Amino acid sequence: MTAATTVEKSKPSPATQGEQIDVIDRPTKRDEAWRYAPHGELGRLSFGPPSASARSVPADVESQIPALDGPRIVIVNGVVDEIRSTLTNLPDGLRLSTVADVLNDQPEQLAGHFHRGAGDVADAFEALNMTFGRDGAVVRVAKGHELATPIHIVDVTIPDETQNSSCSGVVIHLGEGSSATVVETKIGGGEAFGGSNTRTTITLDDNATLDHIVLQDVPSTQVHLGSTEVTQGAGSALRAHSFNLGATYGRVAYDVHLAGEGAHTDLSGLYFGTGDQTLDQQITVIHAAKNCTSRQTFRGILDDESTGVFNGGIDVRPGADGTDAVQSNDNLLLSNRAEADTQPRLEILADDVACKHGATVGQLDEDALYYLRTRGIPADEARRLLIRGFADQAVQAVAVEALRAWIIDRLGHADG
Amino acid sequence: MLHVENLTASIGGTPILKGLDLTVGAGEVHAIMGPNGSGKSTLAHSLAGRDGYEIGGTATLDGADLLDMEPEARAAAGLFIGFQYPVEIPGVNNMYFLRTALNSVRRVRGETEIGARDFLAVAQEAMDLVEMKQDFLNRSVNSGFSGGEKKRNEILQMAVLKPRLAVLDETDSGLDIDALQIIAAGVNALRDPERSVIMITHYQRLLDYIKPDFVHVLVDGRIVTSGDHTLALHLDDHGYADYLNHELDDAPGRPLSGAAL
Repeated sequence: MTAATTVEKSKPSPATQGEQIDVIDRPTKRDEAWRYAPHGELGRLSFGPPSASARSVPADVESQIPALDGPRIVIVNGVVDEIRSTLTNLPDGLRLSTVADVLNDQPEQLAGHFHRGAGDVADAFEALNMTFGRDGAVVRVAKGHELATPIHIVDVTIPDETQNSSCSGVVIHLGEGSSATVVETKIGGGEAFGGSNTRTTITLDDNATLDHIVLQDVPSTQVHLGSTEVTQGAGSALRAHSFNLGATYGRVAYDVHLAGEGAHTDLSGLYFGTGDQTLDQQITVIHAAKNCTSRQTFRGILDDESTGVFNGGIDVRPGADGTDAVQSNDNLLLSNRAEADTQPRLEILADDVACKHGATVGQLDEDALYYLRTRGIPADEARRLLIRGFADQAVQAVAVEALRAWIIDRLGHADG
Repeated sequence: MLHVENLTASIGGTPILKGLDLTVGAGEVHAIMGPNGSGKSTLAHSLAGRDGYEIGGTATLDGADLLDMEPEARAAAGLFIGFQYPVEIPGVNNMYFLRTALNSVRRVRGETEIGARDFLAVAQEAMDLVEMKQDFLNRSVNSGFSGGEKKRNEILQMAVLKPRLAVLDETDSGLDIDALQIIAAGVNALRDPERSVIMITHYQRLLDYIKPDFVHVLVDGRIVTSGDHTLALHLDDHGYADYLNHELDDAPGRPLSGAAL
């Protein structure tokens, strides 16, 4: 983070900023938030302005997309594919647009996503995304509207020769008292090395409620860097569910700023690593107002030589009295070469604060395995049942039935 | 049905079963009684195939060599163990578990699998037997169950799997009298000329409700005496002291403290 603070954050223009960005140092092992990242591979990610039009999506990639009814935006290599997107016949109260269109017509609406003061850019990848991630989805829900149908944003990366990595952005703004569900699916195709750098900015006005679901399942030849920044008004609620499943290095980051009194945030996640995957959750919740509550509930299942990382922060600012924050991270190691790294970061600068955190790392319960086998269930199926049972809490927290089915099916492939 | 000959089991070189013989015929109910530490639970888990024992001797069920099989194969061969401490499995739905278990043994036996809808009827019949409510099936296996509910869930599983031989390990422990009667009624309803039951128990109380054909006394890893149900009544009055002394006489070089047992 030291290096990135040198980025000049005036309004970037891709042409000039691009060259400047390339000389910014990428994070190193010394940056706590990037300690477990594969720095060699991060260094091989190449970024640049996206091509003018979206490339086609092969059928095998298309078939990975969870089938959800309702509005959707498909982004391919950083460019919205309008043919695959549903931008018309939207429900009352929803404005769904592309980032490129809004940048063109109402750039001030995206000020919070693209403009930062000097020193506010977290790292070089965020700076790269600000420069090149100039298309994506803008979801705006008008005051008081409750949307029943999930809004689906699909980010597809298929590395090509000009540059192997893509950048895209998602901006979500829920007006006062409104509610919505937004699903972000990150997938990809091709055999080549590459990566995706996606950045989501969420603003919840007072008493708004958002369900935010992230499905990360890009090919194991790719790196995925995903970050979500949330600002919550008084009485608002965020329920976030992340499923960090694909990529050689898959990163899910949430930075939640509880700015209004009585806001509630509930972040849960599941990561399931196989092979030599590293799945990294970087979570920070800032309690900046009175009487806010936050929950962080993350579960990891780690097989083969995979690594799971949970770096969870609770930051209670002065004056945020009445804070109620709970964090838990439970890991299931399925192999003696798998690794779980869990690190709580708690900084409490207010009074009358209830803050709890706990972490566990364990193996499959041998007694449970034996119990199931005495009922005739073969050993490998008993293992699958127990793994599914461990994941169940995270899966059941997802309200959309079609997504639960997609996740269960996907977990079935991982533990086979 | 079941033939056990000279069964030995030890853990880390410490012998627990020291040459146990037992024959159970079709349709018979046997009670195995004994003081704490005599090897009762080890007998159940040696038959079921728990890891961690060094096993010797033979045990066959309908002629098939149990000791050579994985636990799931023993279940498919018709063996069922009722656990003294049923294991809690959070996140695994009880109904799904029961159906998976039933279909697993059916698959091995070359029978067709039972679909979710047809299984409901199977489950309902079993639930009625142990007086369980519908929501019982939608909970996680044993997770957050009371002691009585866990034991009833064991009998429910027995009713679904319909084993040839059920070994019920201290199924009566920790039960109040109402729960005990429900469990006993369930087991009695499952008695069948083709199904045998071994009840492992510390107390005679269970045998008031499930009358055994034979009672065996297990002390220090061996069956030291056998008889009919009146033997249990004798034990209830006199305890195991007679047999502990007998054991002392047998092995004068190995002091046994009654208090420690």
